[in-house]
Amino acid sequence: MKERRNLGELFTGFTGLALTLLLSFGLVIVLIFLLSGTPVRTLYFFFVGAFTNSYYLGNMLNVAVPLVFTGLGISVAFKAAVFNLGGEGQIYAGGCAATAVCLALPAANGFLGGLSALAGAAVLSGAIAGLSGFLRMKWNTDEMISSFLLSAAVVLAVNYFITGPLGDPKNNLLSTLAIGPQYGLSGIFPPSKLNISAFFALAAALLMFFFIYKSHAGYEMRMCGLNREFSRYGGINVSKYFVLPMIISGALHGLGGGLMVLGTYRATIEGFSFGMGWNGIAVALIAKNNPLGVIPAAFLFAYLDAGAKAAMINSDVTFEIAAIAQSFIFYLVTARALYAFTRIRSRA
Amino acid sequence: MTGYSPFAIPLVHSAVDIMTPFLLAGIGGLFTELAGMLNIALEGLILTGAFFSIVCAAATGSLFLGMLLGILCSMALAWLFGAVTLYLRANVFITGLATNLFASGFTVVLAFQLFKTKGVIQFPGIPRLPALVVPAFLQKVPVVGDVLFGHNVIVYVTWAIVLLSAIVIYRTPFGLRLRGTGLNAATIVTLGLNPRRYQMAGILISGLTCGLAGAMLTMELGAFVPEISSGRGWIALVAIYLGNKTPWGIFIASFVFGLAESVSNYAQGAVKVPVDFILALPYVFTVIAMIVYSIFRHARSSRS
Repeated sequence: MKERRNLGELFTGFTGLALTLLLSFGLVIVLIFLLSGTPVRTLYFFFVGAFTNSYYLGNMLNVAVPLVFTGLGISVAFKAAVFNLGGEGQIYAGGCAATAVCLALPAANGFLGGLSALAGAAVLSGAIAGLSGFLRMKWNTDEMISSFLLSAAVVLAVNYFITGPLGDPKNNLLSTLAIGPQYGLSGIFPPSKLNISAFFALAAALLMFFFIYKSHAGYEMRMCGLNREFSRYGGINVSKYFVLPMIISGALHGLGGGLMVLGTYRATIEGFSFGMGWNGIAVALIAKNNPLGVIPAAFLFAYLDAGAKAAMINSDVTFEIAAIAQSFIFYLVTARALYAFTRIRSRA
Repeated sequence: MTGYSPFAIPLVHSAVDIMTPFLLAGIGGLFTELAGMLNIALEGLILTGAFFSIVCAAATGSLFLGMLLGILCSMALAWLFGAVTLYLRANVFITGLATNLFASGFTVVLAFQLFKTKGVIQFPGIPRLPALVVPAFLQKVPVVGDVLFGHNVIVYVTWAIVLLSAIVIYRTPFGLRLRGTGLNAATIVTLGLNPRRYQMAGILISGLTCGLAGAMLTMELGAFVPEISSGRGWIALVAIYLGNKTPWGIFIASFVFGLAESVSNYAQGAVKVPVDFILALPYVFTVIAMIVYSIFRHARSSRS
C-alpha cells in the first residue's frame, strides 16, 4: 500500500513537471502567434534555433554554467529551509569582485591570480548572503526579505564600481576595464564562448551532492531543514544552520559570477548577470533541490534563453518572451494540485 | 514650492508624495498579510498598474479611465497570482516571485510590441494629475497648509483608503473573518465559510491598491520607465511589519520611508554623492529599519 503510493507520487511528480513545461511552452507558442508578424519563422528559431549551429549550441551550454551555480546555491539554502532571495546581487557582486582582483593583479600568474579572483568572488558574495543568515540567527530578522533588499543595494553599488573606480572611460558600453589576457579560461567549443568553467560547474554539482547527502554537516543541515525544533532536541547546533547554508549559497552565486567574468565577458558589464539569480530559484525547484538534478534543469533554462535570443536575432520578437515563459514555469512548478491531479481526481 | 518656507517644510511635503505608493501597496499587502499570506507580488502588481494606467490613459485620453483600467489589469494579475496559489495549491513565495518576473517581462514585451522600444516611453499628451483644490484660507495655515495641501488627488484618495481599511478591518464582519483566516483558517471553516475566499479577497484588494500606486508613479512622471516600481513593493512589505500590521502603523512606517527618501533626494543636490548610492539608500535604510525592529522585538520577547 505504502509502496504503491510512493510509486504513484513519483509518477505524478514527473507528469506534473511535464505538464508544467508543456503549459509553459504552450504559452510561448500562443504568445509568439500573438506578437510575431512571422510566427512560423519565430517558432522555428525559438525551438530549433539553438541547435542550428555550433556557435548557438555552445553559447547555450555556456549560459547553463552560471545557472548550475545559482541553482546549487538556492538548493543548498532550500535544503536547510532558509530562503536566499539575494541571488541577483550576489552573482553580480561575484563578477565585480573577480574583476577587481584581476585588475589589482595585472601581472600575476594566470592560474594563481584567477584562483584568487574566484576566491574573492566567493568570499564577498558569501559574506553578503551570510549577513542575512547571521541576522536571522541573531535577531530572527526575516532572511528572505533582508537578502533581497541587500541584493538590490548591492546591484546599485556594483553599478557604481562599473561606471566609477573600475570603469573603462574608452568604452561606450557600461563596462569595467578588461581583465588581463592571462586570466581568460580556455574555450572548449570554438567559435562559441563555452569554456572550461563547464567542468567547474559539473564538479561543483558533484561536490554539493556529496556535501548535502554524504557529509555530517550536510546531514545536520537537512535535519534542520526538515524540522528545526526536532533537530535542536536531537542536539544539533541549529543556529549554525541559518548562517552556513547562506554563506555556501552566496559563495556559489559569487563563483558563478566570477566564472562568467573569467570565462565569457573578461570584464564586468552592466547587467551581465541579470536574471541568473531569479532563474537559479526556478532551476532549484525543478531539480527538487537535488544538486545532480540542477544540471538538466539549468540546461532547460539555458535552452529557453538561447531560443529567445535566436528568435530575437532572426525574427521580430523581443528577448523578454523568455522571461514570460520562465515566469510561467515559476507559477506552476510548485503547484501541488497540478502535480497530484490524478490523486485529486480519484478522491473527488 | 513657496519660497519663504523653511527647509523642513518642502522636505516633509515631498515626503508625503513619496510615501503614497508605499502606503498604498502596504495597505493592500496588509489585507493579504492578515489573511495569512505573505504577498511578495506587490512589486509586480505596482509595475503592472504603472504600465497599464499610463498606456490606457494615453489610449482613452482620460486620466480617470486610464487609472481604472490600470487598476483592473493589476487586479487581473493579482487574481492569477491568487488562483495559482489557492486553487492549484502552489507555494505563495514562488508564485509571488513568478508574478514579479511575469510583470517585468510582460511590460517590456508589450512596450516593445506597442512602442518599439524597451526604454523610457514618454507620453507628452497626458495631462498632469490634478491637485486637490482647497479654500485659500486653509492653504494659508502655516506649516499644516504647506504640508497637507497641494498634493495630487491620489494622495488624498490614499488617505481615504487608509481610513476605510481601518474601518473594514476592525469594524466589519468581513474584516473579522479576514483576520480569523490568518489566525486560524480552521475556525472559518467551522463557521461554514471558505477561508480561500477571504484570502482571494485580500489578494484582489492588494491588486487594487498596488494598481493605484503604480498609476501615481507613471502619471506624476508622464512617462513609463522599465522597472519603475524599483523595489517599492518590497519596501512596502517591510512597512507592513514595521507598522505592526495595522493601517496606522503602516501609515507611520511609510512616512518614515518617504521622509528618508525625500532627505536623500535633497542631499543629492547639496552633496556630491554618486547617483547609484543615492538610489541604494532606500534599500539600505529599509534593511536597517528591519534590523532595528527585529532587535527590538527580540529584546521584548526574551524579556517576557
